[in-house]
Amino acid sequence: MTSIDIPEAPSRRSALLGQLLGAGALKKAIVLVLLCVAWEATVRLLHVNKLLFPPLSDVAVRLARGLGLGAGASGELWGYIWETLSVILQSFAISIVIAIVVTGLAVSNRWMREVLSVMTGIFQPLPSIALLPMAILWFGFSRDSLVFVVVMAMTWPIASSLTVGFATISPTLLRLGRNYELGRFSMMTQILLPAALPMMISGLRVGWGFGWRTVVAAELVFGATGSGGGIGWYINNSRLFMNISDGFAGILLVIIVGLLTESLFRLIQYFTTHKWGTESF
Amino acid sequence: MVAVPSRVQSDPRSDLVEIDRVSIAFPRSRGRGTVVAVQDVSVSIRRGEKFVILGPSGCGKSTLLTAIGGFIPVTSGEIRVHGKPVKAPTMNRVLVFQDFGQLLPWRTVLGNIEWAVARRWPRYSSAECKARSMQYVELVGLGPQAEQYPNTLSGGQKQRCAIARAFAVEPEILLMDEPFGALDAINRERMQFELNRVWAAESERVTIAFVTHDVNEAVHLGHRVMVMSRGPGRLRALVDNPSVGRPPHDGAALKLVDELRELLKDPS
Ligand SMILES: Nc1ncnc2c1ncn2[C@@H]1O[C@H](COP(=O)(O)OP(=O)(O)OP(=O)(O)O)[C@@H](O)[C@H]1O
Ligand SMILES: [Mg+2]
Repeated sequence: MTSIDIPEAPSRRSALLGQLLGAGALKKAIVLVLLCVAWEATVRLLHVNKLLFPPLSDVAVRLARGLGLGAGASGELWGYIWETLSVILQSFAISIVIAIVVTGLAVSNRWMREVLSVMTGIFQPLPSIALLPMAILWFGFSRDSLVFVVVMAMTWPIASSLTVGFATISPTLLRLGRNYELGRFSMMTQILLPAALPMMISGLRVGWGFGWRTVVAAELVFGATGSGGGIGWYINNSRLFMNISDGFAGILLVIIVGLLTESLFRLIQYFTTHKWGTESF
Repeated sequence: MVAVPSRVQSDPRSDLVEIDRVSIAFPRSRGRGTVVAVQDVSVSIRRGEKFVILGPSGCGKSTLLTAIGGFIPVTSGEIRVHGKPVKAPTMNRVLVFQDFGQLLPWRTVLGNIEWAVARRWPRYSSAECKARSMQYVELVGLGPQAEQYPNTLSGGQKQRCAIARAFAVEPEILLMDEPFGALDAINRERMQFELNRVWAAESERVTIAFVTHDVNEAVHLGHRVMVMSRGPGRLRALVDNPSVGRPPHDGAALKLVDELRELLKDPS
């Protein structure tokens, strides 16, 4: 909560904007502009080899063309980014289901709780990209391999924050649920999940971050072997064909998509836990 | 023990809740052994009465009430409702908890009540649910706050919302744990008045067990007052209250207030 930053009651609209951008948005924007200027100036003034490190303006042009802006633009980046997004979205859905089922079982069963705690302990510190060679062995150079490593990256952080979320639910709310004769399933959907939502959102956020990094990295590895087709593969290809501006454009796009999804999580928070006053961070 | 003013005649036919030699102990947090919260309490709550449990802090009032609700098991003895042992909570015995965290934070004031009403009568249309809920929101004076989320309410407002929710589902037995503790004097009197009124309006069908440590409140509300003493929670006295519902300055009522105060003070 950043209540200290807000001197007086903000209007509803600026509150929403603040939630989307985070604190100190103006200062951040200024820093960002300065960084861009520094990049452009350094490359041009020091006469850096453009093949190795292109100026920002070149990269921006490549990015715009890749996104289909301007005359004769290809718009090819949309296809690559969509390929990557579809992998991560599918993995995200799978991970959420696994995490909910596993923690749901762990809530009611002592042994499942230990199993989950050990599994989380083992897999959370492991960068799941390390599993890619095995995944390739099992699933080949296919989309399944990507989904497998990304699911392994996302499931554990989601499950562990969900566990914390469930463990910290007020006993009074559980009693309330019992008083109104909720069964196992309704207890889950009407009390446990909404009450754990603040922790769940932060888990999803962390999970998504892990997944995003993992999927791009995995595609880079795939790129080296010549199959695949996501944004990581595109970045790697730019090196092969010495189109280094394209590579930078790809990297910028990876960053932009990361920032956009971050805003999306903030937006979800604004309309749920922020409104209910149960926000956990 | 002091002379117990037991002017209560037992009538088994009207007993709705029978508390039969009940003891409740909790395991101590570390090591072995237990904390006895309620010891050997036997008392019956009659159908349609307002029954007050009065006692100092920590004497086991909440524990006893929660056990009547079926939320915690008794260590020995038995609690029966309609002659059947209490096993689990039901919507027929709704508990208004002592703490403020009993509202669903993700539902508005009205939404909390609608949720309960919809649980109670799944066949209700959402319009019927809403109409009924709104009626109870107004009853506790939360009309202007109906669309607010609980985190924007004061402690007293939260408690009033919880009370409205409990009334709205028309339980056979209403268990209230110091429900007016967080209210200011005016609202407290108003809610006491409303409680008496709602109870009368339900043609006295609803049975209310009410926990308090306020002697005046006990005399204003309770047909009978059960006094508990600490160390560990025992039944100290069971007092008939003919002046229930009378204004607080009524002579007979004041006399009973003094009597109860003495019972609470006396350390034996
Ligand atoms: N879950 C628990 N575990 C261990 N001891 C408990 C537990 N709940 C209550 N106790 C103990 O039982 C005794 C009675 O508690 P209880 O909450 O019933 O008191 P009370 O009469 O409701 O007090 P108050 O008026 O302050 O609410 C206390 O000594 C308390 O410490
Ligand atoms: Mg209590």
